[in-house]
This record gives sequence, structure tokens and C-alpha cells, in this order.
Amino acid sequence: MNRRTAVKGLLVFTGGLVLLPSCLTREGKAFIPLKHLEVSAEEEKMLGEIVETLIPTTDTAGAKQLGLHKFTLKMVDDLHSPEDQKTFMDGMEAFQKMTKKQTGNSFVECSPQERQELIAAINSGKASKEVIDFYQILKKHTVTGYLNSELVMTKLRIYELVPSRYIAYYPVKASTKN
Amino acid sequence: MAYINVDSVKQRTFDAIVIGSGMSGGWAAKEFTGRGLKTLVLERGRDVKHIKDYPTTNMMPYEFEHRNELTYEIKQKEPVISRCYAFREDAMHFFVRDSEQPYVQEKPFDWIRGQQVGGKSLLWARQTQRWSDLDFEGPARDGFAVDWPIRYKDLAPWYSYVEKFAGISGNNDGLEELPDGEFLPPFPLNSVEDHFKKQLKAQYGNRHVISARCAHLSKPNQIHLDQGRAQCQNRILCQRGCPFGGYFSSNASTLPWAERTGNLTLVPHAVVREVIYDEKAGKATGVRVINSQTKEETEYYAPVIFVNASAFSTNQILLNSTSSRFPNGLGNDNGLLGKYVAFHNYRARITAEYEGMQEYATDGRNPAGGGYIPRFRNLHKQETDFLRGYAAGFRANRSMQEDTTGFGAELKKQLLNPTWGTWKVGSHMMGETIPKEESRISLSKEQKDAWGIPLLNIAIDYDENDNKMVADYHAQMEEMFTKAGFTNIQKTDSKQAPGLDIHEMGGVRMGHDPKTSLLNKYNQLHACPNVYVTDGACMTSTSTQNPSLTYMALTARAVDHAVSELKKRNI
Repeated sequence: MNRRTAVKGLLVFTGGLVLLPSCLTREGKAFIPLKHLEVSAEEEKMLGEIVETLIPTTDTAGAKQLGLHKFTLKMVDDLHSPEDQKTFMDGMEAFQKMTKKQTGNSFVECSPQERQELIAAINSGKASKEVIDFYQILKKHTVTGYLNSELVMTKLRIYELVPSRYIAYYPVKASTKN
Repeated sequence: MAYINVDSVKQRTFDAIVIGSGMSGGWAAKEFTGRGLKTLVLERGRDVKHIKDYPTTNMMPYEFEHRNELTYEIKQKEPVISRCYAFREDAMHFFVRDSEQPYVQEKPFDWIRGQQVGGKSLLWARQTQRWSDLDFEGPARDGFAVDWPIRYKDLAPWYSYVEKFAGISGNNDGLEELPDGEFLPPFPLNSVEDHFKKQLKAQYGNRHVISARCAHLSKPNQIHLDQGRAQCQNRILCQRGCPFGGYFSSNASTLPWAERTGNLTLVPHAVVREVIYDEKAGKATGVRVINSQTKEETEYYAPVIFVNASAFSTNQILLNSTSSRFPNGLGNDNGLLGKYVAFHNYRARITAEYEGMQEYATDGRNPAGGGYIPRFRNLHKQETDFLRGYAAGFRANRSMQEDTTGFGAELKKQLLNPTWGTWKVGSHMMGETIPKEESRISLSKEQKDAWGIPLLNIAIDYDENDNKMVADYHAQMEEMFTKAGFTNIQKTDSKQAPGLDIHEMGGVRMGHDPKTSLLNKYNQLHACPNVYVTDGACMTSTSTQNPSLTYMALTARAVDHAVSELKKRNI
């Protein structure tokens, strides 16, 4: 094996860690491959912080660690009509502008306190229709993605692939927790 | 014509040919091979081996790229099949896509097709009720279509025969309109389904809610274990194919049983172009088949042929089987082939809520889906301004619900700590539609498929009788729901196109008279008795019951007849 081949091999070996991300982000595009949406790496990062604000890390993983911002982008990219995709993208832009106007910063730069306040306002309907539409699409997929995540389905609210039973009269106390 | 190698002809000659490997074809295969006949089963789709070819069967929800939803692209490209409730990421590999095999919709028709070994028996909703004489006597009593050439007593022993083997769960409810059968233990009604049952009994007397009868092994017998099947594990992921063989499918049951006899030859990718009719012999001698992959044409021969290609494909094959004796399609002397097709009217639904039974929920899953309301309209005499009636599904469901209004740690807590919601109840209608001459399928004169076979042209529609029935279902169910104390009642009419019910029937109907029907009482073509049709194409009327169990019983009965006729050299 000559030196050239060895170096090439080393590059291939480390490529997954070092080369690939820089290659993909050279145009500032999102890390997740998308067919229709034009989302920048910066926006993807912002979405990560929004979903983390929605479902934060506590004693269990939060939405960012579970990749639910990427999941949302994939769902919007694959499942939504072009019109709904535009609603999402326009709303995201409006959200960015609103954030900048209200805090002077981007959402990523905002303090946790500021992020809480921004999302609290939108969550209670205090924002433009554009922003609320964007937020609702994002929240819907984040919640679905969370409930359907491996973590939740195998550790927190167990999904039974093989229940092996049907109990027609299952006694419960009114409003009991699972 | 090319010279045929004699040995090769021998290799391509069987005691019986069965076209199609789905619900009824699988039964024909089992019955013929079990009686020692070397049987060829031709399937136009690919092979699907039990368990081995169920790629999604053990996947968790998060393992599906889109969490089992359809992409926008697929919905745009395949609008018809995308409307089918079971066409999702977990089972889409078992359905024919619109773009793969086009057909002509002279009127809107959602043709839902499952072409592989096992056909739609892999995908069906597994509801299995016997038909009663109130169904078989329907056309004669109400003056539509033609009289069925059989009655319940002709089919009763065959219902028992297929039920024992397939494994049907249910109660013997003692209802004239829904004959009892050979049942495995039922899946019980839950508290609200029982409540509705008691309310109807008390307030109407003659309206019933029963445990839906379904083709699930609630408690397998030895005959089911012998098939390699095990007890239903309540997964309700049936459309993926069941690794336990918990529900009946050709793949889990009849086909492996047939294979074990050593008498089965199964050829997938075999598109049947036509049944070959020999003018001199005055009977059918075989079938002409195109390999869907290589487009190579092959002929196979047998003294008896069963056409079980699925209702409309069976019509298509017979219409395309022309000869100087039968210029308009095999057995079609009266010009009725492809006419008088019908379906089930599933347009109407009703939903509501129930505040009672707060002390109960359910646990696990019910593969039967809940309750079944047998037909109660016009049962013994005409009492409305529409003909016939409808059956209905009824289910009550109470699920854990999470509050999603908040955000942050609060939302997370809410998502992980759901509470019991209120009971939701729902029902859908299954209406009998009247077969009419103008409801017909025919061969396109211009367009052909990838194998040179004319496309099927479908012209079927609802009529005023169906609209009246939808209105009556809504009115009756609303009254029944109200009397049972249900609230927030919502009625919908999906206006869905015919076909989405996946219960298309007819076109090669049974009847007494060769002038007005295609098949006799044993499902033989009147004009070509060594060809039998026992799938949905043979149905003279549609009843309000799910049809699959009747296809099975008709098939087993017809094979018994065919074998006896072969022995007597009558065919």
C-alpha cells in the first residue's frame, strides 16, 4: 500500500465524521436532505431550539435530541401539499422576523427566558396568522414524532406490538392516569 | 401455430386449473388437491410465502419512514388506491397501484386490487357472516335481477365445512336473518357496545347488536394447529400478513395445506389472457397465459377450469375468451356477461359520544372490531320506500388521551400522562345495492394493457334506492343512538365512489335459466360446463353480509361437484 492510498483510506474512514457535514453545509443547506423545502442550516438549528422549547430535556431526552425538528422537516417535505409547504415556510420567515423585532436577536441567540416568552405568546394565539400556522404545523409533527419515537414507545408509554389479549370490561377509576 | 413438443404438453397438463390464488382460488386449490387431483394454480402477481414475505409484519410504528402515512407524491400519483384505508406504508406492497395497471372509469369506480399469491385474502377486513334465505330469496321476492338457483339449505353444510377449517369466531345468536355456524369463542362486546345492544333489545325488540363474527382464531382447534397457525394475538396489524396465522388467508391456510398434498403446482407472474375453447370437443381445454415478467406465452391444459381471478378480473378473462362459438366471450350466449354488477353501499357513517360507563375501558385490542347489527329493514316484508336494507358495524372505543394545549415541561408531562377520554361510538352502513343491466363492465375497444389484453371499462353508479337507504340509515341510527343516550351525534355521507367497499360482485351471475344467467346452481357456465366461476363474479345479488365466507362455501361445494362430474365423465 503506498502512502497516497493510505491517506485516501484515512479520509474515507474519517469522512463520515469530518468531511461529510462540511461538504453538505457549504451552501448553508440543512443537514437533512429535503426534496422541496429550502431550509438553511441556520434555520434547521433554530427549529431544533423551538422543538426543544416545546418538549424540553428533563430527566428524559427532549425533542432536539430526538431529532424532531428534522422529523418535522421531513414530514412537511414529504406529506404536505405545496400550498401547505409554502404556509410553513412563509410562517417560519415571519417567525424569524418577529423574533428579531421583539428581541433584537435570532431565536438561537435568545436566552431560555426569551424563548419561553416567545413560544408562550404564540401558543396562546398572540401572534400573526402566518406565525401561528407555522407553529401549529411544527407542534403537530413534534408531538406526533415524540409520541411515536422509539424512546416513548419502548420506555415511557409502552407500545405493545403483540398485546395477546382483549379485555372488554377493563375497570378503571374515572380520569385515572395510565 | 408452432409444433408443440408432446412431452412438454404433458408437463403442462393437469387435472384441474385454478385461475387466481385469493380467497376463493385458495379454497379451490385445497379442495382439488385434497381429492388427489394434480392442480395448477395460476397467479398473476408475485409469490408471497407465509411469514417469509411479510416484510413489515414486526415493525414498530417508528420504523416506518412516514409513521405509516402516505406521502403527498403517492396520493397525487395513485389517487384511487390511496383512498383505500389499508393502503399505508405497512401494507402498500400488497396493493396494485393505479399507475401500474390502468382501467377505464366510464363512471368513477375505485378498483382496489391485491395481486399476489393470496390476493386480497391477505388484506381483507375478515368479517364473516352466513347469508340467510332472506338474502337468497331477495331477488325473487322483490323482483330484481334473477332468482338465485340455490337456497340456504344448499349452502349450509358447506358453510359449516369452510368455517371449521378457516376458524371463525362468534356467537350462535339464534337470528333468522343471520344463521348460526361452527364458531370459535367470540370476541366479547365491551361495556358500551353491550349497553347499546340492551337498549336496542328493550326499545325495538327486533334490532340486534352481536359480537362481530370474524375469521380469527380466538381459540384454535387441532385443525388450525395442523395448518401451522396459532391463536390470534390481538395485534390488529393483519394487513401486513400475520406471523401467527391468527386470521384466515390463503397464504396461511389453504395454499400451504394444498402444497402438502404434493398435488399443487403454483405459478406466479401468470397473467391469464383467455380460456381456450375447443370447438370440436365442445368444451374448454385450457388457458393461455402470459408471463408478466418475460411476456412469454404458455398454454396449460386441464379437463376442468375454475376462474377465481377476483370478481372483475374474472369477467375480464371470460370477456376476452372469444371463439367462433363464443364471439362475445366464453359462455356469453345471452349477452349478459359483465352486466348486473353491484357492490355494497358504505357511504354513510355516524359517530357520537357516551358519558356513561366511566368505570370501564378496554385493554388489549379486539380483532373483530366490535359489534355487528344485522339487517333489520324490509326483512320479512316491504316496509320502506326503498328495496332491501343494510347491515351496520357498531363499535365503542375509549382511548387514553393526552392534552396537547401547553408547551415546555408541562406539555411533556401531559404527553406522558394521558387520561381516559370519553367513550366514542361509531357505525358504518353496509347497504345492499341492486344489480342492474346498466351497471356493467366491458372490454375497452381501444386501450390495451402491458400484455395486450383490452383494459376493463367500468360503468357503475349509485341510484335513487341507494340514496334513500343512506337517508334511512342516518335517520334510524340517529334515533337508535339518541334512545341509547349517545350525544354529539354526527352523520356523514362520504359520497365515495363504488368500489372502495371492495365488495364488487356479479357479471357472471348464477341463475336457473341459461337465457337470463351465466352460471347454473353449481357455478358451472351453462354453455361450457367444465368452466366454473366461484368468486365474486358469480353473485346474483349482494345481500347485506360480507361476501367472502359465501365465496369460500360456494367454492368448496363447486369443487365437490366438479370432482364428482369428472368421475362420472359428465364434463
